[in-house]
Amino acid sequence: MKRVMGTLIIISLLAVGCVKRAPSPGVTETEILIGNVQDLSGPMKELGAVIPSGSNMYFQYINDQGGVHGRSIKMLIEDHQYNPQKAVAATKKLVEKDQVFCLYQIIGTSPCEAIRPILSETGTPLIAPATNSGTMSDLSREAGDLIFHTDTGYDRQAEILVGYILNQNSDAKIGLVYQDDDYGENVLEGISKAESEHEITVQKESYQRGAIDFKGQTMNLLKGGCTDVIIAGIIREPVTVMKTAEAMNYKPNFFGTGPTVDARVGKLAGSAGEGFTATYWAHMWNSDAPGAKLYRELCEKYDIPEPYIGLYHYYGFATAQLLVEGLERAGRNPTRKSLVRGLETLKNWDVGSFPPITFGRNDHAGVDKVQLVQMQNGEQVVITDWLE
Amino acid sequence: MTDLFSGLTQEIISGIALGSIYGLIALGFTMIFKATEVVNFAQGELMMVGAYVNFFFVTTFLSASGTPTAWTFLVALGGSMIFSVLFGYILDFIINRPLKDEPIFSIIMATLSLAIIIRAVVAIIAGPISLMPFSPFGDSTVTFGNIVVSLVDLSIIGSAIGLVIIFYYIFHYTRWGIAMQATSEDPIAAQLMGIPIKRIYALVWVFSAVVATLSGILLAPRIALLDTTMGFLGLKAFPAAVLGGFGSIPGAIVGGVILGVIETVSMGTLSFHFQWIKDINDIIPWIVLIAVLMIKPDGLFGVEKVKKV
Amino acid sequence: MKGRYEDENLYWIPVLIIFVFLLPFILKGLSFSYKYYLFVLNMAGIYIILNVGLDLLSGFTGLLSLGHAAFLAVGAYSSAIMVDQFGVPFWLSLILSPLVAGLFGFVIGFPALRVSGMYLGLTTMGFGFIVRRMIIAFREWTHGSGGLDVSSPVLFGYTIKTDWNNYFLIYTFVVIAVVAGRRIAKSKIGRAFMAIRDSEQAAEAAGINLAKYKMLAFFISGLFAGFAGVLFAHTNSFISTDHFDILLSIYFIIMVLVGGVSSIYGAVLGTLFIVLLDYLFVPLLKDQIYFWFNTQAGDIQSLIFGLIMFLFIIFQPMGLYGMWLKMRIYWKLFPFNPRQRFT
Repeated sequence: MKRVMGTLIIISLLAVGCVKRAPSPGVTETEILIGNVQDLSGPMKELGAVIPSGSNMYFQYINDQGGVHGRSIKMLIEDHQYNPQKAVAATKKLVEKDQVFCLYQIIGTSPCEAIRPILSETGTPLIAPATNSGTMSDLSREAGDLIFHTDTGYDRQAEILVGYILNQNSDAKIGLVYQDDDYGENVLEGISKAESEHEITVQKESYQRGAIDFKGQTMNLLKGGCTDVIIAGIIREPVTVMKTAEAMNYKPNFFGTGPTVDARVGKLAGSAGEGFTATYWAHMWNSDAPGAKLYRELCEKYDIPEPYIGLYHYYGFATAQLLVEGLERAGRNPTRKSLVRGLETLKNWDVGSFPPITFGRNDHAGVDKVQLVQMQNGEQVVITDWLE
Repeated sequence: MTDLFSGLTQEIISGIALGSIYGLIALGFTMIFKATEVVNFAQGELMMVGAYVNFFFVTTFLSASGTPTAWTFLVALGGSMIFSVLFGYILDFIINRPLKDEPIFSIIMATLSLAIIIRAVVAIIAGPISLMPFSPFGDSTVTFGNIVVSLVDLSIIGSAIGLVIIFYYIFHYTRWGIAMQATSEDPIAAQLMGIPIKRIYALVWVFSAVVATLSGILLAPRIALLDTTMGFLGLKAFPAAVLGGFGSIPGAIVGGVILGVIETVSMGTLSFHFQWIKDINDIIPWIVLIAVLMIKPDGLFGVEKVKKV
Repeated sequence: MKGRYEDENLYWIPVLIIFVFLLPFILKGLSFSYKYYLFVLNMAGIYIILNVGLDLLSGFTGLLSLGHAAFLAVGAYSSAIMVDQFGVPFWLSLILSPLVAGLFGFVIGFPALRVSGMYLGLTTMGFGFIVRRMIIAFREWTHGSGGLDVSSPVLFGYTIKTDWNNYFLIYTFVVIAVVAGRRIAKSKIGRAFMAIRDSEQAAEAAGINLAKYKMLAFFISGLFAGFAGVLFAHTNSFISTDHFDILLSIYFIIMVLVGGVSSIYGAVLGTLFIVLLDYLFVPLLKDQIYFWFNTQAGDIQSLIFGLIMFLFIIFQPMGLYGMWLKMRIYWKLFPFNPRQRFT
């Protein structure tokens, strides 16, 4: 008897299976659902708190004005702890369970690379991945046509830095401290381009992601006689390297790529961080650019707590502006395709947060220039114009 | 040549400082194991809690007084000590009572899950913004000829030496200390002799929590940002304890110092001369652990207990 | 033969297997998020295979392994390298990669012979760190910490993509693994394992060659884990050393413990419980309290997880399988039960 019942239940469930249909993903009359995956409890959890906060601030601002074509924007955030496997699981949850319209701001090069198969399988666009890796705009990679990158690639940043250093001092001996993973790999690409272009060799010292001691690498650079050192790290690494060098009485010119432009690097490094110069792919949040001004106004309006305000919060804000613009251009009845087409119509789009952004069918790299920001007397000062 | 020599000496001193921290963690861990046979995988997390609590006290007193003075740090230290004593009591209650006689499997899992819980709780309370630890010594250094030593490192070494002396005194010349030793040697005999072993267990946990807190406070200035993953450093204390010989107090410290020195020297000078060493730097303590267990499982100072069938 | 098995087993096993293979269809009918659930079940399936082996090692033989994620990594990377860089066909990798992992099992088995209890736990933990580091060090093949893209499994000419297809691939092997595990557990080998766990001296006195069986335990658990690794690599299409860390090893042991040591079914239950908890239940809980605890979501997840673990250990050392058995016994009206061995 039990078995008969069991079989009947199974059959009826199967029958139901033939009837259900999937709804259109993420868009309802009143709402657009966006999926974000951040590092909320892992090594970079601070960014995971601050960046989406900036985005949410802008979304709030837009929603308060009626939203995009009458729909308010809602962002779901999952945690990947900077683990690519967890990123895959989190992304699948967002795409297949929560049925988000598109993915946005996913942080980390390895996580973004790991989810490419999901993007191509489901046709979900990824807007403004939070990583400077040049691979994000590489259209030859899987799902490249679905990813829209806003940051200047690490490889470009490194290339520009080398060019700048040699410009200041043609006899410079350059050293590089890099993270032994995708980030570092992308930096190395830029470095080797620069090496062959300028016919020099850069001394390269690697470290494992999360390392806290850099005596070995610093000592090696000192012994190698490097006059200028590029640190391709995040926050803790450049601080520790510079402090270690100071303790050894080693005073080269220090430069940094990507995330090192955060003001905290200079603050934490104290006297050792004086003169530290980093590449930055947007306008400074405390500058006079129109986007930055709007940013500060909104921070005041929405009572953002002080520790949050700064570079990363601003980054969340600026990329949110791009996403909203894309959603606008996707039209009254947005589909994923229309979002992609809409973004591809951006030509020299400039609201004063990033330098002018251009996308196209064959160009998903929004920005490829940087300005250099230097730590002077504990404050960050922009010291160059836009360099390419 | 003198360049190599001075570089090496600096590394060794830095290594002794780092190793003292490992030794202190190993000490707390060993104490608990000796007395209660509980393997405390959460020892690193106790250290992390100590560092955070101390930071909390320092910032609270800072906001009251404005500028950091010697008093700020001393009072914070006092506050952290009181906290750690309470914390130790609570831990004894949570871990020891229910799990005293469970198989080692369960105890290890229990302390491991406790480590996960502690880490998560601290992360939630502390919030995501990174905290920059304060040090009473700042970045100042002392120079002996060619050799530059940071005051922070000196303070660590000094404190470690001081603590070892204090502990030695406690364990050999005070009633409670001798009682603790007796309990770890043979709990049943100790009980028969009238020693209140339940209270001794609690005391051991308190002691370990205090030691862990101190090592956290000492370690914090050496790392740029306070982070809940500090506890993973505690994992390196295990090879230290094994190297020194489980159950031996001087062994724990010596083992820690040796590992600390090996670590800093291999990351520095050795890496420069032998590039391949960079690849295995972080696993050297584990290679040492396995080697020690193969060659001389008692470690350097260990006393092996014979278990009956 | 029949006399050795509890009578119940014989009819509900085929029903269970049919259910397992019908499950995707049922899920498809129930929810449009079925793909995600299949993905979670696939993860669970792979871990079940590994945990069967781990249970044989740690549960049955009592050899605590805190580094088992390393074996998973070895299986995964061996297969990825063999298939993508040396052109080995997938089915062959299914045979060779577990052997490689089993070999690693031998390697760790040697030091393991000399130590026990906590020291063994530490040794295996150290082994886990060392293997992981070695994988990163052999950059030319493994691409270091950057991670490797892995091709999809190809069997009988078909390329198996999507969670739907992966499910059938994985669970075919899950069934095989569980059956194999039970066979081993109930055989002479399994009994030797348990004898060693209960008392090494007594086992030796009874004529059991400790070294042989301990090594065998490590080898077998390596095989299972390596096999799981192959499936893991090719169904995930991307592997990186980030994933195979000490926390994962701890997860595995927790799954075995929660399920109830020395019970193959327990290992299955424990794995399912933990994976479903971690991927489905806790996130649901978290989504509810999302607006209060916003971005510390990940920490809340760890906290809930750790608490559940801890409480389980304190209150239910027999694990889920023990609970299940107790429940079953409770429902029997007569005290004349089939043999109450907890295997």
